[in-house]
Amino acid sequence: MHPCEENKLLQGVKDKVSQCDRCGACLPVCPLFGVRDLELASARGKNTLGRALAEGIIEPTREALKAVDFCLLCRACVDNCPVQVKTDEAMVDLRRLLIEKTGATNSKYRLVGGLLKSPRLVGIAARALSFLRQTGLNNLVPFGLAPDEYTRAHFLASFAGPAVLGPPAPSIVTEIGSGAKIAYFQGCGMKMMFPQATAESLAILQTTANVWRPNNFCCGLPHLAHGLREEFLNLARKNIRLFEKADLIISDCASCGGTLKHLASFFQGDPLWEEQAASFSRKVMDLTEYLTVIGYTPRKRVDGALTYHDPCHLARGQGIKKQPRDLLKMTGNFIEMEEAGVCCGGAGSFHLDYPDISALILGKKLKNIEKTGASLVVTGCPGCLIQLAKAARASGGKFQALHISQAI
Amino acid sequence: MIDDKIREKIISIVGRENCLTSDLERFAYSYDSSFIPLTPANKPELVARPQTTEEVSRLLTVAYENQIPVTPRGAASGRSGGSIPLKGGISLALDRMSRIIELDPMNMTVMTEPGVRTIDLYNYAAARGLFYPPDPASWKFSTIGGNVAENAGGMRAVKYGVTGNYVMGLEVVLADGTILQTGGKAIKNVTGYDLKSLFVGSEGTLGIITRALLRLIPLPPRRGTLQIMFGSLDDGCATVHQLLCSGIVPSAAEIMDRLSLDAVARHRKMSLEANMAACLIIEIDGDDDSAIAAQTSKIKEQASKNRALAFRTAESLAEADELWAIRRGVSSALAAMAPNRISEDISVPRDVFPEVVRRIQAIAANHGLSISVYGHAGDGNLHPSILCDMNNPQEARRVHRAIDDLFAVAIELGGTLSGEHGIGITKQPYIVQAVSEAGVKTMQAIKQALDPRGILNPGKIWQ
Repeated sequence: MHPCEENKLLQGVKDKVSQCDRCGACLPVCPLFGVRDLELASARGKNTLGRALAEGIIEPTREALKAVDFCLLCRACVDNCPVQVKTDEAMVDLRRLLIEKTGATNSKYRLVGGLLKSPRLVGIAARALSFLRQTGLNNLVPFGLAPDEYTRAHFLASFAGPAVLGPPAPSIVTEIGSGAKIAYFQGCGMKMMFPQATAESLAILQTTANVWRPNNFCCGLPHLAHGLREEFLNLARKNIRLFEKADLIISDCASCGGTLKHLASFFQGDPLWEEQAASFSRKVMDLTEYLTVIGYTPRKRVDGALTYHDPCHLARGQGIKKQPRDLLKMTGNFIEMEEAGVCCGGAGSFHLDYPDISALILGKKLKNIEKTGASLVVTGCPGCLIQLAKAARASGGKFQALHISQAI
Repeated sequence: MIDDKIREKIISIVGRENCLTSDLERFAYSYDSSFIPLTPANKPELVARPQTTEEVSRLLTVAYENQIPVTPRGAASGRSGGSIPLKGGISLALDRMSRIIELDPMNMTVMTEPGVRTIDLYNYAAARGLFYPPDPASWKFSTIGGNVAENAGGMRAVKYGVTGNYVMGLEVVLADGTILQTGGKAIKNVTGYDLKSLFVGSEGTLGIITRALLRLIPLPPRRGTLQIMFGSLDDGCATVHQLLCSGIVPSAAEIMDRLSLDAVARHRKMSLEANMAACLIIEIDGDDDSAIAAQTSKIKEQASKNRALAFRTAESLAEADELWAIRRGVSSALAAMAPNRISEDISVPRDVFPEVVRRIQAIAANHGLSISVYGHAGDGNLHPSILCDMNNPQEARRVHRAIDDLFAVAIELGGTLSGEHGIGITKQPYIVQAVSEAGVKTMQAIKQALDPRGILNPGKIWQ
């Protein structure tokens, strides 16, 4: 990194974290602090660390990098901060800076990031995982990365009892121009791990429009989150070009959608890309957001109890909380769980890096799901779904986990 | 100095998992929520996190024998530097002593460890129809030990008093490790000196609070929250003053000036008309809806007489929370407005509240500084916050003169330096002016008697 760019990055971190007056409002809401009560694990601790780095009080060490890596980027602190200090953005910047300064190889993320950069490789991985699932070997893959998929067929079969039939066909109120070109953005997680959910998203979308499916690139969030900013920007440029002709870009992955909606901010001041990125971001909608706008009615009403887990990148990343709930209320007996908005501990690759901590956070989620008595927990992000599938298994079949497109 | 031998001894007492020693981890325990600069970092040599009174006692025995400074810490949410380990040594983090030990419904008391969060204690009592009133703005994250040690106030002080009014007994570990039990469940107690009160507000300089026996009262069945906007601070202050004189005592009456409102409005949706210069948030409580309605209408009437511009009643719990979030967020919102924010905590008899607010505005004008005013209009405690850049030497000089003037005014009007934050590090230069030479000497004599080796939170309260 050029020293000039390094200084700019450091100044950016300083501008963000110096807004923190260390009051402590983030302490009780940080899921990590909730399971590991160390000041350094809290948002306040990490922001102050950022400030100390920027002021030269502490050295940019591997230990410091480890501290800023220990963050879910879930934005619970941002939401509860009296001045909304952008801790998540500061952590992403600090990771990049400290990787550079400490010469950390970052090889693990480079490897995964390299895979995700290529739609072809993602496709191969998806087929490999599909094979594992068919043969039942998926359970041998650690960290629940090859989850059993609970399908819509299972879902309907479980609620075959006195199901209340919904209207036969969705009634669509088109507020979106009828000739609009609607594109589907397929996230890598959905593609590799949840092909059935993807199929359901597409089936729903096809009833509302003629959906265009370009072979898109990774949204770049895994790269951005681990200091690989250039890779992230390159992927963003490729996607911006690819989707130029789309009027709407629908994502059924909260993390992709959230990232894509925020692309504009990463190209601020870039004469070539700023306008294009902004126009791209404006076109992105979450599946539930889109379905709500067009007045979609779930295909079938079931007589089961459902609860919902808010993906961080949907609730806080995009402010979408009501739409999925409204859709689920039309689908079945919706029961709100306690702390639905608290991170499940998945957080991209966090659950791979810190399996024990992640399990503690998921344990709390499991309890909250069980307390509702619901037999299904629904969410809108493959990252969360990996975690919730683990929770479902741990519950011994008390509930199943589904992507929202499989329920509605 | 903590050498390897002492370190191992401490580790053997609290356990390795309750001891932090790395440079970075120690840095994280070098600050609190005050405006004390991060540099030079006041790093403790070691952070110890005991889980029982016995561990605290053994730890203090070691510290006493080896003359190692010990600075207690709860959530480090204090505003005056109380939990900063100014002289190094041990940062004694009590946040893992977080059990509520006993609720006694017959005597209406609760026994708790110091690391329990204030709001958790409130909710615990409220679920059983009981009320723990002290609610410092930080109550969602501050802990009881710190609340007692700083004698924390809060919004409800106007009707219900401060933390100290609810302390019936304490378990305290003294400097040499002796465990002292003081006070108890008996309401009347004049058996010798009132030692428990000595530790209330002692800022960790006399002993380590390891248990608190707190008084509860019946939870008022109904509550109402109102927001009233005024064209001037004077009108808002006058309204509160007249209400109190006419026998209407709200459970909270908080005022904020325009600068405070603008600071909050940067982070949350608020509709502010150009002529709104002050906002009053009032909480009332009573036995039933009609009691709330009666108070509301009287408050409304009084506010109208003082040219109120807008009046809003919270219709739901969520709306009440939203109104309170405005007030609870002021301090941090102001801090984000300028490179430095020097926040004071002066407290005056409530009858001169309107006067002190006028004088503060004059001080701001005299020194050409931006000083926001918000605070507890009902009880006379307010937080003038100077928004400034202390890196500008000329401005820093004006700030220091303004602070001198603020304290002089507070004392002249019969008030004092700190209502609820404590003296800590930030207000030390003014302590003699506030309590006199004799006052400081008396405190020092007590300190000398209880902590002859000066190991407990050294460097605090006086210079």
